[in-house]
Amino acid sequence: MSMIKVENVYKNFGTLEVLKDVSFTVEAGEVVCIIGPSGAGKSTILRSLNHLEKITSGKIWIENDLLDDRKDGVNLVKLSSAERASILLKTGMVFQRFNLFPHKTVLENVTLSPIHVKGLTKDKAETLAKDIISRVGLADKINEYPSRLSGGQQQRVAIARALAMEPEIMLFDEPTSALDPELVGEVLNVMKKLAESGMTMIVVTHEMSFAREVADRILFMFDGSICEEGKPDEIFNNPKNERTRNFLKSVL
Amino acid sequence: MNMFEKMLSWMPALLRATGVTISLTALSVSCGLILSLFLALGKISKSKVVQKLCGAYIYFFRGTPLLMQLFFIYYALPQLHSALTISSRFTAAWIAYSLNSAAYLAEIIRAAIQSIDKGQLEASRALGMSYGKAMRLVIIPQSIRRLIPPIGNEFIMIIKDTSLVSSIALVDLMKKTSQIQSSTASPLVYLPSMAIYLTITAVLTWVFNCLEKKFSIYE
Repeated sequence: MSMIKVENVYKNFGTLEVLKDVSFTVEAGEVVCIIGPSGAGKSTILRSLNHLEKITSGKIWIENDLLDDRKDGVNLVKLSSAERASILLKTGMVFQRFNLFPHKTVLENVTLSPIHVKGLTKDKAETLAKDIISRVGLADKINEYPSRLSGGQQQRVAIARALAMEPEIMLFDEPTSALDPELVGEVLNVMKKLAESGMTMIVVTHEMSFAREVADRILFMFDGSICEEGKPDEIFNNPKNERTRNFLKSVL
Repeated sequence: MNMFEKMLSWMPALLRATGVTISLTALSVSCGLILSLFLALGKISKSKVVQKLCGAYIYFFRGTPLLMQLFFIYYALPQLHSALTISSRFTAAWIAYSLNSAAYLAEIIRAAIQSIDKGQLEASRALGMSYGKAMRLVIIPQSIRRLIPPIGNEFIMIIKDTSLVSSIALVDLMKKTSQIQSSTASPLVYLPSMAIYLTITAVLTWVFNCLEKKFSIYE
């Protein structure tokens, strides 16, 4: 069963076409990495899956639910905001800049949505949160404010916060791009563990070694389109498209 | 009586009038704050109509003199319709100052809300929060710390702006001071009166500094 299906998606910012006829599917348990140069539309397509960007036309399914069926910016799918929210809750998102809530402690960051969106009791939410926070290796930091944590620790809290909503799909938007080099590893390790646990993941990344090692499939995007897709081995060792070859030459 | 004793003898009357100044300011800024939160949210709402309405309100109350607004509410409204008569001078002043400070506070709150990184709203939405929940749980609490200094400023301005109520014969600190001045012909009365205004301002400044520290713990 496809967890995500994207069909003929276009996105314009004014006259600028940032996505041109993007289609792909992601199966349950699959880890898909999206790579490509800056401005290729990688983040835009990822953000569209969570309605942080509204596509101009095309269709997006999350599991079997049609989230978007747009033409000229108008959504033909009429969902109540509650219905849309319940579809969007199947995806969790991790941002490049972490976006932790600075006025909340680590524990409060992770419990806020389970309590106020899912209606869990404080006790239940905290038990769940403590378990997830210790899985990302930060059990000793639960009462700290984000400003007291390193970038790598903040990003791990952000992952825990998304996981606490028990999503079926995790979306990562360049999760290590804002980190100092020595902090990248700890975040990638958490993501690797998550992938091994069977989570469906879409990762926009510049970490080629992570993509090669962890991804089941790579999508290479260039200028708003998917130029090439395949298994990491094919893409990295035997790229068919010349743009893919040039890109990999420049980053490896 | 020497100079000092004279000033001391006016103190009880001045302090009684100070009660009016302080209660008018406190009530007006409190009501102004509540009203301004709605105005600020209206100003950034998606609805163009709501935006325009709130914008018009703010434009009107910032664009006309406070003294004229006060006169309008106290003198002109009863002439428009007898049901609009406000017999209490204090209530009339309270309404005028609340409506006026709401306009200024609304712009302060709007600016503070919009200064919060938009990643915060995105993260809230990605975690399933509605716009209202994101505002209430994430955006507005963060903007409070940024609001404290300008709200303190607004408080201090209103304390002194309340001196305008002497023109509708409401006896506040300013009015009492002028009354003493004209009955005794002594210009010395301004000194204790200024000392009282300065004391109020000093206390307010201290309170707002404490609040700012309290809300900065997470930074």
